[in-house]
Amino acid sequence: MGQIVFAAGAPHAPAIVGLFDRAPADSQKVVKDTYTAITQELKAAQPDVLIVFANDHLANSRITLYPDFLIGTAAQHSGPHEWFQEWIGCRDYSAKGNPDVAKALFQGMTRRGIRMSSREENLKFDDNISVPVVMTDLDRTEITLVPVLQNCTVPPFPSPEKCYEVGTALRDFIEKDLPKDMRVALFGSGGLSHEPGGVKYYKIDEEFDRAFLDLCVKGDHKELLKEITVERLEEAGIGGTAELLSWFPVMAAIGERPGRSFGYTGWPSFRCGVGGVIWDLEAKQ
Amino acid sequence: MAWEKFNPNLAAHDLVQDMKWDPKLREEFKRNEAAVLDRYKLMPEERKAIEERDFRTLYDLGMHPYLGGQLSRFIWGNDAGKGAVEASNKLVASLQGHSRDIPNT
Repeated sequence: MGQIVFAAGAPHAPAIVGLFDRAPADSQKVVKDTYTAITQELKAAQPDVLIVFANDHLANSRITLYPDFLIGTAAQHSGPHEWFQEWIGCRDYSAKGNPDVAKALFQGMTRRGIRMSSREENLKFDDNISVPVVMTDLDRTEITLVPVLQNCTVPPFPSPEKCYEVGTALRDFIEKDLPKDMRVALFGSGGLSHEPGGVKYYKIDEEFDRAFLDLCVKGDHKELLKEITVERLEEAGIGGTAELLSWFPVMAAIGERPGRSFGYTGWPSFRCGVGGVIWDLEAKQ
Repeated sequence: MAWEKFNPNLAAHDLVQDMKWDPKLREEFKRNEAAVLDRYKLMPEERKAIEERDFRTLYDLGMHPYLGGQLSRFIWGNDAGKGAVEASNKLVASLQGHSRDIPNT
């Protein structure tokens, strides 16, 4: 029986790397505090494997044949993919994969009625995986990585309820299918409000972002599913804010638990609201 | 803009996807855009909109905005500090229907 030892959600906006030096001090502090806490607590939890749910930005599949959840089963996960290097402005990395866990996840979710897909080749990573990996220096640890690239942008994409169902199955998979004492970390990568490529490219919905972070910190999932609908996500930024659906499998897998956030910034040049949550796994459900 | 206009059939999506995956195609697009566009089954109005950098029309035809954003970076610049910012300024200006680079906020 595997055990979830760490769970967090945070944005992967490329500008938190590429434009960090130009950001005002209070915005820098939010990025630094959030990712420092995530890095320290992730390492302290000593996980064997980190499963990251992150949206695919149409980098791995044609729009005409688009998987909702694509598991990377490679032995190494290198990135960022060539075209995204100058755009993110981050260093290259090669994180250790975990083909055994990745393939078990594919089989386990299939057996539980959750349609996923898998690919053995190195997936093409843009900011989705690259930003959390370089911000936490994951590739410089012994922690293995299993990326699950999620469809949050090609309609019709999985709803909050569906993503929650995925997380419930994920918990069952971790408890029943993974080896005894395997330590598992979970991370939802994406959000907060933004509209990449849209007419509201420069708008950030601070009210939505703060309300979303509060709901995550509170850990009341009935309220979360009531408040956070696809319509509300899209209202806060079409094609971008729905990346927060990658936090839902994580929250469902750990159950209703409170969390901590580390401030919020809506600095326009990040072109994305920024704030993250680490959930308290010691707290009673 | 909303998803009701989204049309997953547009050939422009394949153009953007292919350029992301192929540095040689990107280079050719810069050098001889027409030759690259010739190879895609673009509707006449879709091709015209690409040639005229008219993103408003492209989105009205059903282009996915994320791929629209990436198309703007092939045209105007992709680097974190400068090019990508210029690209998004021009993209938003086009969507808002004016020719100034700095978007209305």
